[in-house]
Amino acid sequence: MIPLYVLVFVPVVLGALGYFVPRRIFYWSLLVVQTAQTAAAAEVFLRVRSSGPFTEHLGRWPVAIGIALQADILSTVMVLLSAALFLAYLLYNAQDHYTDNMFLFLFMFAQTVIVALFLSNDVFNLYVLLELSMIIVTVLIMYKKGYQSFYDGMLFIMMNSFGMTFMLFGIGFLYRITGVLDFTALPGAIAAVADRRLLAVPYTLIMTSVAMKAALFPLFSWLPRAHGAPSAPSVVSAMLSGIVVKVGVFLLLRFRELFFPVFQADHFFFVIAFLTATAGFLLALCQNDIKLILAYHTISQVGLIVMGLTAGNDYAYWGGVYHIVNHAFFKGLLFLTAGVIIEEYGTRDYTQIRGVFRRMPLIGAASVMGVLGITGAPFFNGSISKYLIQQGLAGDFREAALLLVNLGTIVSFVKYSSILPFHQGGRLSRLVGLWQTIGIKAATREVAGRKSEQLSQNRTVEGVVSLALGGICLAGGIAGAAFISVLFRVDLNVDGAFFLSKTLIFLITFATGILIYRFLIVPAKPLLVRVQSTAFTFNDIALGVTVFCTTLGLYLVMTS
Amino acid sequence: MGALVPGWPVAVALFSIGLFGCLTQRNIAKTIISVNIMGLGAIILFISANHLPDNAPPLASGAAAGIADPLPQALMITAIVIGISVTAVQLALLIRVVRRYGTADWSLIVKRLQR
Repeated sequence: MIPLYVLVFVPVVLGALGYFVPRRIFYWSLLVVQTAQTAAAAEVFLRVRSSGPFTEHLGRWPVAIGIALQADILSTVMVLLSAALFLAYLLYNAQDHYTDNMFLFLFMFAQTVIVALFLSNDVFNLYVLLELSMIIVTVLIMYKKGYQSFYDGMLFIMMNSFGMTFMLFGIGFLYRITGVLDFTALPGAIAAVADRRLLAVPYTLIMTSVAMKAALFPLFSWLPRAHGAPSAPSVVSAMLSGIVVKVGVFLLLRFRELFFPVFQADHFFFVIAFLTATAGFLLALCQNDIKLILAYHTISQVGLIVMGLTAGNDYAYWGGVYHIVNHAFFKGLLFLTAGVIIEEYGTRDYTQIRGVFRRMPLIGAASVMGVLGITGAPFFNGSISKYLIQQGLAGDFREAALLLVNLGTIVSFVKYSSILPFHQGGRLSRLVGLWQTIGIKAATREVAGRKSEQLSQNRTVEGVVSLALGGICLAGGIAGAAFISVLFRVDLNVDGAFFLSKTLIFLITFATGILIYRFLIVPAKPLLVRVQSTAFTFNDIALGVTVFCTTLGLYLVMTS
Repeated sequence: MGALVPGWPVAVALFSIGLFGCLTQRNIAKTIISVNIMGLGAIILFISANHLPDNAPPLASGAAAGIADPLPQALMITAIVIGISVTAVQLALLIRVVRRYGTADWSLIVKRLQR
């Protein structure tokens, strides 16, 4: 029986204590404690799974007065996921030079905040924790202090504190109307409100800020700047895309559930999610920077997840939830490998990076697994969650929307994958010659100045960690239904015949994707470069938030 | 509780003023102030919740009746502290931004970064 607050406080306490001991000792004790933390999270998860959700009141205050932590199946899965991923990130960091004590402390602090966000049972606490996470992330994304980093940090913190005032304002209205801020007491208090239209104000304000945290359609422009920031260590990018953005999605789910008896804005959010997914891959196609390609992809995948969650169908819902887990693995993997690739080649431009496979076979293989996972290739975890979402939408015009999003994902990952093949003239180049002639002809120039034999560092640790993550992607695909039933106690009927047709659809989409890339995207490069260089200022983003908030409010007025 | 009691019009007005500032001001320092004004609106909204004119402060006087709702006050002292810390970080960053790019104008910085 491990109390929930242990999961919350152990990382930050250890991080604070370890700050004063030499880095080596700090690092190894962190590894040990993080393993224990993962085991503890697993224990809590198994407890919830066998005996149901429970709430823990801190300080022995009565319900709805004191601060409470709650553990249900979804939140404990998220806690387990983040503990496991933080373990992977720590292992990955074994040889890195920028991970001094300060970095490790902030990293552990971030974990505390994330775990607390998943477990918190109080709306105001969520606000406090989100503000805290904002400050920590601001420092982490500026950690390498590049030329752009201060602008990135400034924009990130202004954007987010602006969004958080919407949340605080909404919580204020919620408190005035209902008189409670505790998730256990709120449903009853909301049901007792006489004039339900009043609740539209807090709902709109809170949902706007949560949608910003989850990077939905007009509110995502902060995300690539943060997740793809040149000065952010790759492990920070992996953490942001893997877990932090999922906090937004998780909160979206919780508030949706809370207000569900009063407002059902699922159609609104489905459309927004589709726009998010489309805009995400379109912008990803315009990027040259491999980290930015991945960052825009996170937006696209979040859109896909929210599409599943709001489709109003059990299959799509669990597909969306499973995709949260899957995306954490393959996007984390892709960011980690991208970090190694960037360090190795000394550039972030995809046209300058060639032959990752030959220089770093482990990293190359792991990258391929990540790409296969994210594009939903058969036998990888992405296929299962996308398949479930698709089955939930089957026979609907919305299924076409999903296929379009998947096509976009594939097209932009054909672009990303062009960094992987061997050099022209290499021994195995004929095997991948198909790739080079169809997909990547535009950019097969050899990287000048650097010979492929110059392996600057030993990348075994990073490679092994990445491959392990890739292995999880593969396992999550082969045993998808089992994973879902273990993690969420939901038994879904994964139809074998449908699986075959899904494979066929994947192959067709894949071929179309390569053709589109070759004949549409490569020739349109000047246009893409122009799109890529448009940047939004803080005022534009603030306008986007305001427009989103107004639109959601109008939608509620019109539908209820 | 149900209906909204006065106090909220002031809060909404402050929030809107801050929002206007965020939408129109190009100077980073002014946007920081604007976000703070928005936060102030939220704080007033909380503090005025459940407030009656003859309420006593929630001090340890013993009497339970006629005491102002203590929860918003407890929450808002937290929100104020957070606001101050966030503003401190933002201002510290602002100094770095101005030193590095030589301007505190959002759109000028974007232009300089694109070059």
